[in-house]
Amino acid sequence: MRKPVRAVGLALCLAAATAGCAGDGDDRAGATTPVGDGGGVGDVDYRAFDGTVRIGAALSETGKYAVEGKDSRQGYDTWVRWVNEDYGGIRIGEDRYAAEIIYYDDESDADTAANLVQRLIDSDGVDFLLGPYSSGLTTGTSAIAEANGVIMVEGNGTSDTMFERGFQNLFLVATIASDYTRSAVEALAVRGVRTAVIAHEDTTFPTSVAAGARRHLEANGIEVLAVETYPKDIQDVSAIMTKFRNLDPDVFVGGGHYNDAVLFVNAADELGFEPDAMLITVGPSNPRLVEQLDDDVEGVLGPTQWEATMAYAGDWFGSAADYAAYYQWLWGEPPVYQAASATASALALHLAIEAAGSTETDEVRQALRALRADTFYGPIAFDERGVNIAKPMGTIQVQDGEILVVAPDAAAVAALVYPRG
Amino acid sequence: MSYFAQALINGVALGGMYTILVLGFSVIWGVMGVINLAHGEFVMVGAYLAWMASDFWDVDPFVSAPVVFCVMVLFGYLVQRLLVNRIINRSSLVSLLVMFGVSIILQSVMKVSFSADFRLANTDLDGAWRLADRLTIPVTRFWVLVVAVGVTVALSLFLGRSRLGKSIRAAAQNREAARIVGVDIDKVYAVTFALCIGLTGVAGALISPLLAVQPFQGPPLTLKAFAITAMAGLGSVRGALGGAMVLGLVEAMLALYVDRIGTNLAVVASFVLLVAALVLRPQGIFKGLRHVDATST
Repeated sequence: MRKPVRAVGLALCLAAATAGCAGDGDDRAGATTPVGDGGGVGDVDYRAFDGTVRIGAALSETGKYAVEGKDSRQGYDTWVRWVNEDYGGIRIGEDRYAAEIIYYDDESDADTAANLVQRLIDSDGVDFLLGPYSSGLTTGTSAIAEANGVIMVEGNGTSDTMFERGFQNLFLVATIASDYTRSAVEALAVRGVRTAVIAHEDTTFPTSVAAGARRHLEANGIEVLAVETYPKDIQDVSAIMTKFRNLDPDVFVGGGHYNDAVLFVNAADELGFEPDAMLITVGPSNPRLVEQLDDDVEGVLGPTQWEATMAYAGDWFGSAADYAAYYQWLWGEPPVYQAASATASALALHLAIEAAGSTETDEVRQALRALRADTFYGPIAFDERGVNIAKPMGTIQVQDGEILVVAPDAAAVAALVYPRG
Repeated sequence: MSYFAQALINGVALGGMYTILVLGFSVIWGVMGVINLAHGEFVMVGAYLAWMASDFWDVDPFVSAPVVFCVMVLFGYLVQRLLVNRIINRSSLVSLLVMFGVSIILQSVMKVSFSADFRLANTDLDGAWRLADRLTIPVTRFWVLVVAVGVTVALSLFLGRSRLGKSIRAAAQNREAARIVGVDIDKVYAVTFALCIGLTGVAGALISPLLAVQPFQGPPLTLKAFAITAMAGLGSVRGALGGAMVLGLVEAMLALYVDRIGTNLAVVASFVLLVAALVLRPQGIFKGLRHVDATST
């Protein structure tokens, strides 16, 4: 060992680097082949169209957001399959254009995602961009898009801070992060909740959700007894839950990502922490979590951008249930809301291009600002920030192992069970 | 009082988890001078094996752990023979990069094989024992602690009492001298690496009900093992237990007694202790088999 100290330093650097590096690196693919019984999305005969609208997206196939990245990609590819093979292509004037999405694996790393978006613009010459998964990755990539004057429509990066920068080319079809917990908090408030605690990962998106939760809690007369933050990749939340147990709140609000939901539910079980309601911002709406945690997740609440049971419908894909059936046929699994958000992002861009009758950025931007559409995903109408202000956030609750929408009342299919028992 | 007692329980339970996570990493580094950057990925493979046993055959991870150990011993032996043995005499940077490559390969293979979906193994040893109104012992973590202490004692006895264990320690202290007195270094390294990867697989099995199993869970675990090992002492089995316990308790106390950012401070604590140990006591708090800056021979 000639340079042992340097070796130790390099070891630390390499170990840290692996957190966001999984080797697929430069994995480019046009579109994937779905796993269900449906037809592929990569077998489009582009000669049948008058041209191609080239769209780019950096998505996480590896790393921390690989699950959500996969769902997002399937959502985008659902639109590609539908628009090319069922809808007949994007209508621009009298012509029909095929849609093509070029993907790169951003490895769940913000710098990688930003570099790949620059590459999509410079080397691949894409006309438009669709968003990556997570606010952290969308923050950087949207700045690249803005600097290059390329429109990015996204549905899985919802942090408020992104829309406080005055960007002209960033559009969000999903409900913004600070409103994630609004319908849940309002539903709990009318059931007599008086105190709450909040724990959140100290990254962009969970911080926005938690700040919004605190605002909604206090606006509804619910006292916030404590707020705790934790770093990403946390492996133990026992201390946080011990603190909260001693405060005896009515509601626990936890915000992070999928694995955090596992940690919260397990730690609450291990410590005998039994608040009357648990509201966890990512996880409960995912059937995988319910399957894996079984009884422990019973009664847990979670926000959802979208569920197949919601009473939304439009001229494209039909109703929410129709979309879910199409997605199920294509991929062999039901859509989670990240997938629906991705499809809705692509659909909003599609509708704006058709309304503009052009792929020119200025015209499509104007069309996006003027867009008013009812879709399977809910209503879409962007404000001056580029945020969809027409769609409220839903709240689900796990009841007898089923994920049921319990708020807002207009979308609810079951009554909220409180206390969760 | 129960608040402090719960913090102690949390800290010891966390220390138990860290102990089983760090043992294999520590001994490989201490004996062979190899910083196993794929450590977290070997944990992950063990966790997947336990999850498969749980999901396909309904076998509890605590029951499947011995089988996981055997499978991972074989896997470790293969990796040692095919890779580590070929680069053990070269610059430490080479072994570092090779193990980094192994980590990427394992992540990719597991992602292709199982997708990036999160998995959790089921255990019947879950829930909590309630000692008082606000004092509980987490059952799963308690049994992880029991296994960690048991493995530590067994490994300590093996290294201290058995002929092979003494050979391993001799090879760690002076490889050439050990070779001169008849120690089969290749065999010692093969056994050490295989055994440690087996233990690392057991760690994966035991945490599979606690942390979501997915292909990219390894790097933070490697970093934690690195910090504890360098702090406590390379290859010191008792050091691994002691270092893990110290860190578990420090983290638990910081997280519990510092409002709002306590958990953040707790994560930083391991690296503060690491830096302090490297500067003030490079042989580790518990005096390892070699210094961090020792040569590999």
